Amino acid sequence: MDALTIRNASAMPAPTWGWLKMNNAEVAIPAGLAPAGAVDVDAPQELFDNARPFEVAVAEMQERVDAARGEAADDRACLRAAKTGGTHADADGDLGDLDVPALSRYQERACREEAEGDIARAFETGMGHDARSYLNFLAGEPVALGTTEGERARAVVRVEGEERAAAAVALDVVAAPDSELDLVIELDGTDDFGDADAAALIGSELRVFAGARSRVNVTVYVCALPATVVLDDEGYVLDEGARLTVRHVVLGGGTTYTGLAADLRADGARADIDTSYLATGTESRDFAYTVRHRGRKTVSNILANGVLAGTSKKVLRGTIDLVHGCKGSEGTERETVLIASEGVDNKTVPTILCDEDDVAGNHGATIGHVRPDQLFYMRSRGVSPEAAEALFLTAKLEDAALTAPTEGARAAVARLAERIAPDFDIDEADEEEAA
Amino acid sequence: MAKQRTEVADIDRSLYDFKDSEEGFERLAEGLTPEIVTEISRRKDEPDWMLEFRLKSLEIYNSFPDPTWGPSIAGLDMDHIATYVKPNTDQSATWEDVPDDIKNTFERLGIPEAERSYLAGVGAQYDSELVYHNMQDTASKMGIVYSGIEEALHEPRWEALIREKFMTLIPPTDHKFAALHGAVWSGGSFVYVPAGTKLDFPLQSYFRLNAKGAGQFEHTLIIVEDDADLHFIEGCSAPKYNVANLHAGAVELFVGKRAHLRYSTIENWSKNMYNLNTKRARVEEDGEIEWISGSFGSHVGYLYPMSVLTGRRARSSFTGITFAGAGQNLDTGTKVVMAAPDTRATVETKGISKGGGIQTFRSSIVVTPAAEGAQATVSCQSLMLDDESRSDTIPAMDVRAKNVDIGHEATIGRIGDDKVFYLMSRGISEEEARAMIVNGFANPVAKELPLEYAVEMNNLIKLEMEGAIG
Repeated sequence: MDALTIRNASAMPAPTWGWLKMNNAEVAIPAGLAPAGAVDVDAPQELFDNARPFEVAVAEMQERVDAARGEAADDRACLRAAKTGGTHADADGDLGDLDVPALSRYQERACREEAEGDIARAFETGMGHDARSYLNFLAGEPVALGTTEGERARAVVRVEGEERAAAAVALDVVAAPDSELDLVIELDGTDDFGDADAAALIGSELRVFAGARSRVNVTVYVCALPATVVLDDEGYVLDEGARLTVRHVVLGGGTTYTGLAADLRADGARADIDTSYLATGTESRDFAYTVRHRGRKTVSNILANGVLAGTSKKVLRGTIDLVHGCKGSEGTERETVLIASEGVDNKTVPTILCDEDDVAGNHGATIGHVRPDQLFYMRSRGVSPEAAEALFLTAKLEDAALTAPTEGARAAVARLAERIAPDFDIDEADEEEAA
Repeated sequence: MAKQRTEVADIDRSLYDFKDSEEGFERLAEGLTPEIVTEISRRKDEPDWMLEFRLKSLEIYNSFPDPTWGPSIAGLDMDHIATYVKPNTDQSATWEDVPDDIKNTFERLGIPEAERSYLAGVGAQYDSELVYHNMQDTASKMGIVYSGIEEALHEPRWEALIREKFMTLIPPTDHKFAALHGAVWSGGSFVYVPAGTKLDFPLQSYFRLNAKGAGQFEHTLIIVEDDADLHFIEGCSAPKYNVANLHAGAVELFVGKRAHLRYSTIENWSKNMYNLNTKRARVEEDGEIEWISGSFGSHVGYLYPMSVLTGRRARSSFTGITFAGAGQNLDTGTKVVMAAPDTRATVETKGISKGGGIQTFRSSIVVTPAAEGAQATVSCQSLMLDDESRSDTIPAMDVRAKNVDIGHEATIGRIGDDKVFYLMSRGISEEEARAMIVNGFANPVAKELPLEYAVEMNNLIKLEMEGAIG
């Protein structure tokens, strides 16, 4: 395949100044990648048998949402502005109704989407339309999984890269009401590469419809080789009372993109996203999270915690969108970044969009190095500042290994640790944990 | 009985919403052409380099697209904007020499009274030109220069310095409206504070745009030399029309080593104004810039005072409040570039939106590799007073240095029921309780302003609580 560039990937819903170069990502797909690699889906047969089309689940929800939607006229100024495209002067320069605000593009789009109330049209994934198209093209026919009402199930999906090859999986998941699904996705490259520096690409395209009161727990482990491009693109629609728990563990891969968009469409839906990342050498991490609160009393938490070493780069675009009508909702975003080396570039844009008053939106970020009190304690135990910072790096690996959801993920962390932290002993960590 | 929402009144702008006749004023044609730019320069009898600068800026302006990330400026049609309107008077040093209607305007705005009470000097601009400029003798004797920038440009002593500094912090290539400013700037102040000089009383410039369908493009250039200290206040207002008016001023501040500059602004343009203003400060070793900023007016606002900390241990602080009411989309915030070791920055902002108004806090903290040991804290709070309004927070951080400590906290929400309940349990009515909470919310900014301006801000906010409690 020829080299390809996906522009405007992982774009922020509400952009900021272009000179900061944070608004979106440009994904460079290396040339010469053959469509190859291993994709393995390990799931009980009933998950395949009960699969329902994602579009059908969304359409059924749309019917219910439309039926519940009132016909009351909404004459808010922003909706009037969206209808007229904001304030424009007429031929005489007259601005007309000055009580109509001049909306920005993203505000106009938000008003339009709100007025339409169309779940399918508003559906999005974190990396955006073009990346989704590319991954779907690469993956071919999507794997469809569906849970049974009231049942719990587990599926493990493994995408293993090969040198000079591109491999991806497309997954469509519909979780039935009151069901629970644990989904593990491992995006990995083995050390069987003849040339560890050979270009490769692995990816995953995931769409999830979480039915009423269902629980969907997604864990993604990324432990690819340093020359591998990793694309992890996810989109979720949550019905009433549904709960989504996502854990992203991104430890390896030369350039990784993690995109997630969640539509908390119905009342009481909740999304908890916990991201742990590590970047060493010249690696690059790109995260784009968007959570749209549309139902009442919805909750979201985006937590990100990472260590950046070498001359690595990271961008985190996190957006909590409190859409008009999501009364009683609360969105929280927190990030902690440890900068362990000179030459690191850490970018963060924690955005809150708020079109509703009876809500709470919070975000916080702490970016720095090891705190002086922590360093003092370490020094008093004979640990140098450099060694202390190295400890934080190995702590990331240790935590990832100890909490790995599968043996495969654990083995991937161990392989990665051998490469970037040779002193780290996973068995020793196990023993300490047991003790 | 249904519960009725308590109301917070819009800002009362009647104090500012009065118009004077333009009879006798000189008004250049609407639109933006090289001929108009050349004519502005000719009228000011500028040196050739400035005319070249203006024409180059116009080229840059025409090459830039409109910004796509902020509020729409589709209603701003430069073919309907007069970029130069000269009032029927020249600059005076006494109020008695200012024509009565213009003098009365500034009297109503309280400027001469403020000058008598607590200011060391005042500059008053009306449309495109300064009509009054004066400074106390004591300040003059200290070697401080406070004059119209055009006046200073004609003095050989200052021309070289102005040429060296003019639009170097805000180059025309910075953004479309910086280029526009470079092309058609007119009026504004020049301040020079010699090394070691500390002025105990503030200087103030006030900008009044009276003309309908016109733009104001004043340029403020302030140089505070090493170990000097200055407080500069800027105020602005305009009457309301049904066509777009434009403000695209520029403020360039040079703060020397161990120098201190406080720059306070109360922006109260009318609701047909597009306020696309640019302010920037460069701070040297151990110097400090303090921005105090209140944004209350304008139909559309883009305002982000920027601090560039180039000297070791240089400091910046930004304290701001933005109140967006009906029909307003105010996109405000700040930018900081930390480009030297051990620099410090603090940002504290408050945003209030009501009546369908939109308020956005936008910021950037950039820590370059040279800024080892830098510390920055950003705190941003937004208050929604009804469910028709909107409040967005878009802070960006780009950190490229080790051993830094960057913290960011932001909250958006409405007045907490628990706080209202607590105050009501102490015998305070719900209306009073809400008013107290909103006033308390704005207080961190008000307390940083000179008393007279704090009073004006309270007058501007005028948070009147009314409505039945059911």
